[in-house]
Amino acid sequence: MTSDPRLHISGLTRRFPDAPHPVLDRLDFAVNGGEIVAVLGRSGSGKSTLFNLIAGIDAADAGSVSVGGTDLTRLSERDRTLFRRRRIGFVYQFFNLIPTLTVEENAALPLELNGDRSRGEVRRLLAAVGLADRADDFPDRLSGGEQQRVAIARALVHHPDLILADEPTGNLDAESGERAIQLLTDLTRERGASLLIATHSLAVSRLADRVLTLEAGRLTERTGALAW
Amino acid sequence: MKILLLLAWRQLVRQRLQSALTLLGIALGVAVVVAVDLANESSSRALERTLDALTGTATHHIVGPPRGFDEALYLRLRLQGVRASAPVVEGFIRIGGETWRLLGIDPLAESRFRPQVESTDEGALRRLMVEPGSVLAPPRGARHADAEGRMVAEAGGRTEVLRLAGTYRSNAGIDDLLLADIATAQTLLDRVGRLDRIDLQLSASQVEEVAAMLPPGLHVEEAEARRGHTEQLARAFQINLRAMSLLALLVGAFLVYNTVAFGVIRHRELLGTLRAVGATPHQVVMLVMGQALLMGTLGTVLGVLGGLVLGDVLLALVTRTINDLYFVLSVREVTVAPGSLLLGGGMGVAVTLLAAGIPAREAARVAPLTVQRRSHLERRTGRGALIGAVVGAPLILIGLLLPQLAERSLLAGFVALGLIMIGAGALVPLLVAGIGAIGSRVVRGVLGRRAVRGLSAGLSRSGIAVAALAIAVSATVGVTVMVDSFRVSVADWLEAILVGDVYVAPPGTVSSRVDGTLDPSVVERFRALPGVAAVRGTRRVEVMAESGPVSLLAVEAVSHTRDRFTLLAGEPESAWQAFRAGEAVFASEPLAFHRRIEPGDRIELMTDRGMREFPVAAIYRDYGSEAGVVAMGMSIYRQLWDDPDHSSLVLYAAPGVPTDTLLANARAAAAELSQTLEVRSNEAIRSVSLAIFDRTFTVTRVLRLLTVLVAAVGIFGALSAMQIERAREHALLRSLGVTPGGLFLLVGLETALLGLVAGLVAIPLGVVTAEVLIDVINRRAFGWSMDLVVPPAVPLEALTLAVGSALAAGIYPAWRMARTPPALALREE
Repeated sequence: MTSDPRLHISGLTRRFPDAPHPVLDRLDFAVNGGEIVAVLGRSGSGKSTLFNLIAGIDAADAGSVSVGGTDLTRLSERDRTLFRRRRIGFVYQFFNLIPTLTVEENAALPLELNGDRSRGEVRRLLAAVGLADRADDFPDRLSGGEQQRVAIARALVHHPDLILADEPTGNLDAESGERAIQLLTDLTRERGASLLIATHSLAVSRLADRVLTLEAGRLTERTGALAW
Repeated sequence: MKILLLLAWRQLVRQRLQSALTLLGIALGVAVVVAVDLANESSSRALERTLDALTGTATHHIVGPPRGFDEALYLRLRLQGVRASAPVVEGFIRIGGETWRLLGIDPLAESRFRPQVESTDEGALRRLMVEPGSVLAPPRGARHADAEGRMVAEAGGRTEVLRLAGTYRSNAGIDDLLLADIATAQTLLDRVGRLDRIDLQLSASQVEEVAAMLPPGLHVEEAEARRGHTEQLARAFQINLRAMSLLALLVGAFLVYNTVAFGVIRHRELLGTLRAVGATPHQVVMLVMGQALLMGTLGTVLGVLGGLVLGDVLLALVTRTINDLYFVLSVREVTVAPGSLLLGGGMGVAVTLLAAGIPAREAARVAPLTVQRRSHLERRTGRGALIGAVVGAPLILIGLLLPQLAERSLLAGFVALGLIMIGAGALVPLLVAGIGAIGSRVVRGVLGRRAVRGLSAGLSRSGIAVAALAIAVSATVGVTVMVDSFRVSVADWLEAILVGDVYVAPPGTVSSRVDGTLDPSVVERFRALPGVAAVRGTRRVEVMAESGPVSLLAVEAVSHTRDRFTLLAGEPESAWQAFRAGEAVFASEPLAFHRRIEPGDRIELMTDRGMREFPVAAIYRDYGSEAGVVAMGMSIYRQLWDDPDHSSLVLYAAPGVPTDTLLANARAAAAELSQTLEVRSNEAIRSVSLAIFDRTFTVTRVLRLLTVLVAAVGIFGALSAMQIERAREHALLRSLGVTPGGLFLLVGLETALLGLVAGLVAIPLGVVTAEVLIDVINRRAFGWSMDLVVPPAVPLEALTLAVGSALAAGIYPAWRMARTPPALALREE
């Protein structure tokens, strides 16, 4: 683990029209390189909004998001996209695999978007998530847990600095969820990336280095026993 | 049920764009069908009314040679007791730039034949009889008269001043008919002392009696038969128009089906949820059908209203074509025929319900959870594609074989065309799946593969969309190739027949035909023209054959004229020798087709010496008349008909004399003559003829444009829905780092790919459609044969149209996708 902040958030605010209060209200926090941070919060607390702002797929009303020293809020839409393509990996609750691409092709997509057509890393990762023999299958042939493991491979394949996992176990049974999260944290640590996980799960939170809770638009760091 | 109704309504409102496109698609399809039908109906009715006015209450006519017959016959008949008779002279004059039909009658004998005369006041009738040059006009005609009732008219190439004696009440929309005393008409039409026909009211027993009183060359004809012949002339054109409207109907129906079915497929998940919470299959079907009925009814009402407006435009084009080719007809307003409205309206609602019914029934029958699963739908669609191919291929085969089995049936031609198109449409999904499967092996790159696989993976959407686009583009290709082939054939034919350098004829009343008569002085003047090597006269008249009136063309059978006959059947050398010797005639291709004449057969014609039989030596190509022409040598014509006149002259330039010089000399000579003449070069006639040809096909081109428009709306609806449906997938790509521009390109590529597949299907299908239109429908309607010519640009145009339509349809969703923040689309699960 390095001490340089990989992600630095300052005064981040996001309001939605017609909502009486901001969903994110002047958030400040940092995630160091190689660190795994869990963000706990109820449904609707703004976890997904926070992740979307960090990934640059939504625009903040105020504040800054800096990833690896680059302030995303100062970049154009296009530059944010290109930055995301190279430096950020995403794992979603609903897997979001493309149904018309095979397992291998889904996992290779970020590499190809970056102009890299090599498949060595894709195969290595698929083997690591236990799906080497399903490379040519389409997503509708996989179980939910298997689909999420493909999504994990896809999030890591291009060696991003930061991985955002939004409720990655929310749509899985306990056993599949545990296996998926273990793989995600192991592979993240192995590659020295930082991981931010939004979750309801205490089991998932226990795997994190730090736990933040998001409530009423404010973020607080939990230092004591987890009592969710 | 109240909640279900609310749900149905809110869905339509929430998806405003899709609902509007569905409505527009249905409305356009219905409008085209209604408009063509109204134009056809209105022109048919106008033709009927004109014929009613001309025939009046006559049961029979006495008709004779082309130049008419001596008026003394009328007096003789009356003296012999044929009292229910009225003499008629009929022709055309031009007043104020319009062609008017002039009917010369005997007002005293007429009242029992024509209601117009009966309703006219006595003073006007008296003026008609006692003041030479007086005419009765419909109220519209009065605007051409000055304060003193004078009207300037052109008749037979001369300018005459007429006097408006009064107006008659123009009932039933006939407003291009002038009535004159017979003496006035004879003078105006240069037929002094002659009659064109005598109208009779005879009982069956009197017919033989009257026939026995007639000299050779004259006979009694049933009014119905004569009328039927005229109606038949325009019928082939209307049939062809009907073919175009059926094509539009088929394309319209396909697109309405596409749009509506697509909407239902998109809501399968919702239908599954409704089933899961306890809605019965029946309720689900009723929900979908209720929505479809609402859209179908609204779209149909809009379509019928649009059809009335469009019908007016089409009617003007149809009437112009009928006037150009067949019969001087004046139609000023669309007759709102309930049948036309019912046809279009019925099509709109029925196709909408059918389109909604099939997928709704399927969605209601399967288990609720299965309905929600897209993979189940695609698997079913995959099986459906196989079934489509199994059904489609035999349909195409039957469509190709049917015209051979029912050799002369036009209906079989229409059915064949429909079967081929439906069959091809049914084959498309399998083809799309195949292209998707092959493409995914060939194409490199993950995003490229995703685009190609999207074709087969989303077959429930892409299959219908590609089939609809392919059908629409193939209809366009088919009509384009047919018209181009026709034009090339007509141009070649004009090249062959226009063997002279300069042509002289009186102005015609029907643009495509020379039907006037040259003054004898004209012929003499042109024979003496400097720079002329030879002058050949032609005579074009209508004579009676055993099976009704037929056009007769008499030409001087010299080597110059031989080239004008492109022989399609018959031994050329011996046929020409027999023709030149006056021993045989040639029959034009349409005449041979309609009356089943082959070389070696004989045709009977009524000559001034009585009925004569002529051997047919050959069949020749002639696109000038679809009713058919008998061509014979001038010498035999002169022997058998007492008609020394010419209809037109062909001048051949002397060696070393440029055509322009001859043309200038001829025009100078014509200017000195009292008869107005049209003097045109070979080249001018060719371009005028092709201009008439192009004008004839204006209506076809308008219909083709409308078909493309219907297609564009349908495809826009389908493709935009398809892309909007993939919003989440696109948002994911954006979150993975695809830029807005990249996504725009990606969506564009996907829609272009659909267009490309549709275009590739449309090219062969369009050529087959053209082949059926040419070889089956045109041949059976008009009797013309022509070679299929596929202009090299057509495949490229078809691809451009298909890809262009698809791209145009894809631009909006691509733009929308590129602009939508991915976070928003990802949240909208």
